Amino acid sequence: MRGGEPQTDFEKPRGVNRVEVRDGFAQAIVEDLEGNVPERRIAVLKAIADAGVSLDFLKLAPRGLSFLIPVGQASDVAAALEKLGVSCAIHSPRSIVMVHAVNMRDEEGLIARIVSTAIGTGMTLEHLGDMHDRMLIVLESDDAKKLAGHLNVHLAGVAR
Amino acid sequence: MRVKVMKFGGTSLASPEARAQSALRVISAKEQGFKPVVVVSAIGRRGAPYATDTLIGLLREIDPAVPPDARELDLMIACGEIFSSVIFSHLLKTMGHPAQAFRGGQAGIRTDGVFGNARIESIKPVSLFSSIDRGYIPVVCGFQGVFAQGDMPGGELTTLGRGGSDTTAAALGAAMQAYAVEIFTDVDGVKSADPDYVAKAPTLRTVTYDEVAEIAHLGAKVLHPRAAEIAMKFGIPLWVKNTFSEDPGTEIVPREQFPGRRVTGITHTGRLVYLQFDFRAATPPHKARLESAVYEMMARYGINLYMTNLGPAGIGFAVPREQYPTVKDLLDGLVLPANGDEKAIYLFQIGQHPSREAETQAKLLKPLGEVKTVPVELTESCTMVSLIGHEYLQQPGVFLEVLKILQEAQITVLQTSDSEFSLSCLVLEADTERAVRLLHERFALAEVR
Repeated sequence: MRGGEPQTDFEKPRGVNRVEVRDGFAQAIVEDLEGNVPERRIAVLKAIADAGVSLDFLKLAPRGLSFLIPVGQASDVAAALEKLGVSCAIHSPRSIVMVHAVNMRDEEGLIARIVSTAIGTGMTLEHLGDMHDRMLIVLESDDAKKLAGHLNVHLAGVAR
Repeated sequence: MRVKVMKFGGTSLASPEARAQSALRVISAKEQGFKPVVVVSAIGRRGAPYATDTLIGLLREIDPAVPPDARELDLMIACGEIFSSVIFSHLLKTMGHPAQAFRGGQAGIRTDGVFGNARIESIKPVSLFSSIDRGYIPVVCGFQGVFAQGDMPGGELTTLGRGGSDTTAAALGAAMQAYAVEIFTDVDGVKSADPDYVAKAPTLRTVTYDEVAEIAHLGAKVLHPRAAEIAMKFGIPLWVKNTFSEDPGTEIVPREQFPGRRVTGITHTGRLVYLQFDFRAATPPHKARLESAVYEMMARYGINLYMTNLGPAGIGFAVPREQYPTVKDLLDGLVLPANGDEKAIYLFQIGQHPSREAETQAKLLKPLGEVKTVPVELTESCTMVSLIGHEYLQQPGVFLEVLKILQEAQITVLQTSDSEFSLSCLVLEADTERAVRLLHERFALAEVR
């Protein structure tokens, strides 16, 4: 009979369905920009663009900014910012732990729960970001796999 | 059998004229040799007599202080689609085309048991095929299904949450191996920006499933991302069309069918409140304790977070405006003692000036020793404005370009976030329209097709 066998798996399961690690990044942190901070941020981004470096995960801080770059281009960024007269701390190697959950902004409290679980490990989280389908956590590469393992155990299938 | 799933939104059903126009679309598809399966939303938008919010209002007005149970709320709001399906099927019958109305459960849609935001677990569309075989046009209520476990005969009615009718259409398209799924609305298709802000925003003729999902997640209301994701997974051809025009609409295709580097559009979404917590007064171990306490509280009370960030000085996130009163109740005047080598008492203060609660707490705590204030900077009325692109955002200089455009227009960017397909900026709500227009113009989106 047509349509007699139920079709399944239309939607991804609710809540956290996968945790993965992406390696190969360096984190650049620019703090204490002097003068007009928004303008100085633009100058920093221009120096990086002129150096031909693509950045990810840009976050604004009250007097600076931070972002991720491919670890192989860390020295290009350091040189470009030095030329600009801006001091920049570059930490590497860094990894991104990605916690995937479908439509996570529709699941009340889910993002907060993921972050709270990650902080609860005691590992130093250096940055956070969120998209509609994943949470991104930046930390030292040595810790990344441990964090991913912990989150896999404690968040698998968790919605709220 | 060439099944075509045709979904009609509230505005396509709002008046007798609109319903007649929608019915003519169905009849035309039938005359072209397709077997139409119609999916309907509730009739009309906010304020209309059978619209979802009107039905919710009937319950809330009984006693606004007592929230309705999710189960009863689902039964109530599902009535909007039931009205709609019966009216539309009867209309088709009066136009000489026999039709049958189906509730979600009767159409074989089984969901999980989460009232108000259920997910489809399976579909057995045998009743729809049978209806077609008997010469009827099935008209299915969007937005609803049945949770079949438990001891309730026939199961519990559930609703699918936001964009539920689009999700119903895409899932039925997949289950019935449809030739196409067409989403009918009152605009010509997916636009490069909100036409209320950019009147000349062109209709995109082709976009990929990924792009439309991103556009939908970040504010475009033309198609729900859950529907795009289902269509992508099952490879169902998907169209967004205007019920009231002959415009060909937008075709949504797999990435490999429409490769290339491009900026797709500008979206805006969210009525948000942005909070930045300054933990500089805390020692490093205490800082971690404070961060953890804040996030645990947000999780416990079901607060949705956007634009999360964390740095040496503190943390930040945005919350939906309707959830802000809860957040304020939780955090303003919150006292957190921290132990360890160094003991301290922390007092949270939202905004520049202490509220009465925070002041009272400070006075009461004074005899216990030093109280360290955790200032929380508050920015009300924010929105996310996003640039959506395909193989574009990874180029050097894209962040620069966006921030420069906004900075030159003296639009403050409070925070950013990015993904493979999008770059979002949190701006003041008052600047939203200007930001959308400027980005649309400077990225030459009026030329996009």
